[in-house]
Parts: sequence; structure tokens; C-alpha cells
Amino acid sequence: MNDRKGYTSQTDGGLQTESPIVAGPANPFSRPGMNRRAKIRETILAETHVRMETGGNHAHAHLVPKKEPVMTRDSLALVMRDHACHVIAEDYSYKTEAYYTILEHEQAGENICPSSRDVLDAFVVPICLERAKLTGIPVMEWGISQAYVPLPAILYGLNYFATASDFFVVQDNEQAKDVVKHITNKGKYPFCYQKLDDGATIHTCTAVFGQTVGSCTAVREFAEKIYELFSIPLVSMVFVKSANGIVLSSLAPTRYTHLTQKERALLAAYREDQEFL
Amino acid sequence: MSRLGIFVDRKTLSNSEQLSALIHCRDVAEGMGHNVEFLFPVDINKIPKMDALFIRARTDPMNITYVAARMADFHGIPVIDDSDSIQICGDKINMYSHLMKKNVSLPQTVFLSKNDLSVERVSELFDRMGTPLIVKEPSTSFSLRVEKVNDIAAFFRVARRFIKMSDWIVVQQYVESTYDWRVGVLGGRLLYACKYTIPSVTFKIQASVNGHIVYCGVESVPETAVPPHVIQLGIDAADAVGNGLYGVDIKNNNGDACVIEVNDNPSLESGEDTCYPHVYEQIIDHLFAA
Repeated sequence: MNDRKGYTSQTDGGLQTESPIVAGPANPFSRPGMNRRAKIRETILAETHVRMETGGNHAHAHLVPKKEPVMTRDSLALVMRDHACHVIAEDYSYKTEAYYTILEHEQAGENICPSSRDVLDAFVVPICLERAKLTGIPVMEWGISQAYVPLPAILYGLNYFATASDFFVVQDNEQAKDVVKHITNKGKYPFCYQKLDDGATIHTCTAVFGQTVGSCTAVREFAEKIYELFSIPLVSMVFVKSANGIVLSSLAPTRYTHLTQKERALLAAYREDQEFL
Repeated sequence: MSRLGIFVDRKTLSNSEQLSALIHCRDVAEGMGHNVEFLFPVDINKIPKMDALFIRARTDPMNITYVAARMADFHGIPVIDDSDSIQICGDKINMYSHLMKKNVSLPQTVFLSKNDLSVERVSELFDRMGTPLIVKEPSTSFSLRVEKVNDIAAFFRVARRFIKMSDWIVVQQYVESTYDWRVGVLGGRLLYACKYTIPSVTFKIQASVNGHIVYCGVESVPETAVPPHVIQLGIDAADAVGNGLYGVDIKNNNGDACVIEVNDNPSLESGEDTCYPHVYEQIIDHLFAA
């Protein structure tokens, strides 16, 4: 798992994977309208990082040396496994090449994983959490708001321009005000909030066909259940760990270049249809 | 007493016609003996407590209306618009795919991936479908990202803009007309019909002309005055999408009717239902019968 909050080391609970640590919210996927707002976002993020880092340990970006990815940027792969065609992609978002590839196969009546319904559900945070909760996966409590934020909290945008890769941790009203202004496009859209318990930490972990590399049992089980539910071959899971345990906060797309060497090897094995015992 | 939730958002309430239509809907439902509650996005967790949900906000799989529809799905609550209809109608690639699969009459339509965007391909489309061509960004509504292009250069200017928003775009044969039929369909039956008269300064039902928004004229038309093949085509197109509430736009040139699009969450605030005074009763009955 990757410590996204930055101020709490997570070596004790066995939560860490060998995934690269990402220092704060980052969206590897350029979405419409994001460029023009990049400057505002950068300002908010810079401020968020300063606050995170003053809390304790600094986050380190990309500890794993960059290697040739198993797939190139934006590429897709179709893999036949268990009598179904699996689409491997970095980004399954609405109206992407991956989404339309899935749709095309669905229209042809083929057995395709994930389904277009699955990918829409998985990356819209409240839907993802509600669906996961109904199958017994522990999830964060969430609410929808236009302005109010209980503090501290994680915030996700809920609109055409938002992706689950973009989340913001807010600790005080001033910071919340800036983030809310940004993710709601100055109040145009609602957003999703998740109240954080005191001492809670945020972690990410990548799952490849429902498998993780070097994670604890709890996270491994999460990955398996999430794959069973959404059938997404490549997904980044965001968790919150507190005194009450580990719960799911969201699912997000993953860049091939963000995979560790072992995750790349795992993905390559699935692409080559190797048997897993 | 059954509880009906009417899901709205701030943008739904942007003019007095929309507000009047919502109040009329509430009055009708209450007159039928239901308790009605307006639900805003912040009230989304109240959806499981409702017996039916009627979404009256601009729908899209990427906005809060889709969350509302899925919440209703998860808790077994009948909903208009259902999440399948939002997913299909919100994306013209998906919508036209469903219509093609059921052989519903359409103008010639091609989907173009950003990877297929080449001069040769575009030139071939002009040769095949004629000039001008219509280019659509798949999630456009109110004709916002629909453009008419007359040559390859114009095609690329528009396509490059749309490709930033979607990896695939729609290219369609241009069908000229002075008005579109709008056939309202509910549960596979005609609900209402009207004509949308296209302003002479544009080819769209709504357009920005010299900085001013130009709207189409709306004329409600009784069933007896609508060509039967137009009604049937509307019903067939709606059936290709689902069993909910749809507004099907049809061009009918010289009796040769074709579907321009199927809309979920069709507008009902501009006089579309003037000749059909029981539209809301039928919608509410349909919801509670599900």
C-alpha cells in the first residue's frame, strides 16, 4: 500500500506493498477541462502537501526505478481467460477507447470483462461504495454535499471532469473551502465526502486480476472481493486505516508506469495466460 | 400512502417553466394520493426510503443523477430514468448501437475512433454520405456539441475539439428538415407527440447565434394528427433502449422517417404535453405499477 497521507509510517501493520509511493493526490489521466484548471489544482495540492509533510514522515515519490512497462501508454490488451474476454487497460473511464471496446463486445453479445456497467459503477465513488457494501465489503461512510464538509475528510469530485484518482484530504475549514471550490467548479456540482476518524491514514494498493503483491492478508482479501464484484483487471484501491480497521474509500485507474516490477511481472503473466496455482 | 421522490438539482430549477412543471408534477402525484418529496443531491441517502423515484434533472452517467438511479436499483425502487436508460441515452455511440441492433431507421451513421481519424477515412465518409456531414460528440445534449461540416478541413477542426472529450465520435449523414417530431414514449406506448420547429438561422433545436441562444418552437400535436409510421418508429426506437420514459426525435422527409436520437428525461416544461393532459398521471402510474 502507498501512504497517501504522508505523515504516518505504515510498516508496522504489514500494509505496505512495493508499489511506488505517490506524494499526494495525482491524476495520471488528463480529462477534458483539466488543463485549464491545473494551476488552481497545483496551488491547492502544494498547500496540501506542505500540511501533510509537517505532520511527520515525508512521502517519497517513485521509489521503484522506472522500467519498461509491460504495456505502453493508452494501449489495450484483450486476454481470453475462463471463457471470457478480459480487457486490460489503464483507464476504463466513460468514453475512453477501453470503454468503447467493452461496449462493442457487449453489443456483439460476447462475454466481456469488465462490463460497461462495472466500470461506470467502479469509478463513481458513491456507487462503488454502495455496491461494495451490499456484498459485505467494509467501506467508508459517505455523504453528498454542495458545501458542508465534516473535518477531517477525504473529498472526491462528482462530475464529468472528476476521476477517483483525484482525491483530497482536508484538515481545516480554510483548506476545505479551497478544495470544495475546486472540485465543485465553484459550486456547480455536488461532491462526495468521507469523514476520517482521528489518526486515520490513507493507503493505496494496486490489484492485478484481483491479486496484490506484498500486501497483508486483509488487503489481499479486499482485492479478491473487489475483483469478484467489478472484474477490473487493473485497478488502484484506496483504503482508510483507523482504529476500527481497514475500509475501502474508492477505486481508481492505474497507469502502467506506476506498476512495480513485480506487478508488471504479474500483469505480464496474465497476458501470457500463465497458470496460477 | 406511497412515497414518491422527485430528484432535482439546482440546474433543473433554472427557469420558471421548469419550476412550474415540477410543482405540477407534485400536485398531480399528491392528487393521486401519494406523498411527494423533492430530493436534492444532498438527500441522496433518503432514496432507499422512497417507494418510487422520478429523476427530473439533466442525466449523465458521470453526474449525480446516475448515482441516484443506481441507488434506486440497489434498493429495488422503481425509477425513471433507470440507470440503463441513462447509460444508453447519455452516450450517442451506445444509443445508436442499440438502434442499429434493432434495425431502427437512422440516417447513415458511422463511429469514428480517434485512432481512425485520417484524411483518407474522412474523405471516404464525405464520398459515401455526402456533403455536409454532421459530427457529434457522444454525450452532447441540447445540440450543444453537434456541428455541420462542409469539407475535410472543417471536419478536422470539429473532430479535434470533440476528440478531447471522447475517444470516439459520431459522424452522420445530414438530413434537412424544418421541424423534428418528438414522440414521447412510456413503457412502449405513445405518451405524447409534438413538433420542434427548427429556427431558420440554425439546423439545431437549440443554438447560439451571434451570442444569443435561439430555441426551437414547440407545438403539441394530438395523436390523430401524427403520421402513424412516425408514432410506430418512435415506439420501436424507445423499445430498442428500454421500457422507461423517452422522447424520440424523428425527421420525416417525404414520408421517409428516420430517428435522430432517443432522449431519456425528455423535457415536459415547454408545452410538449398541452394536448395530453394526463402525462404525469401516466408516468406516476407506470412508476408505481413496476
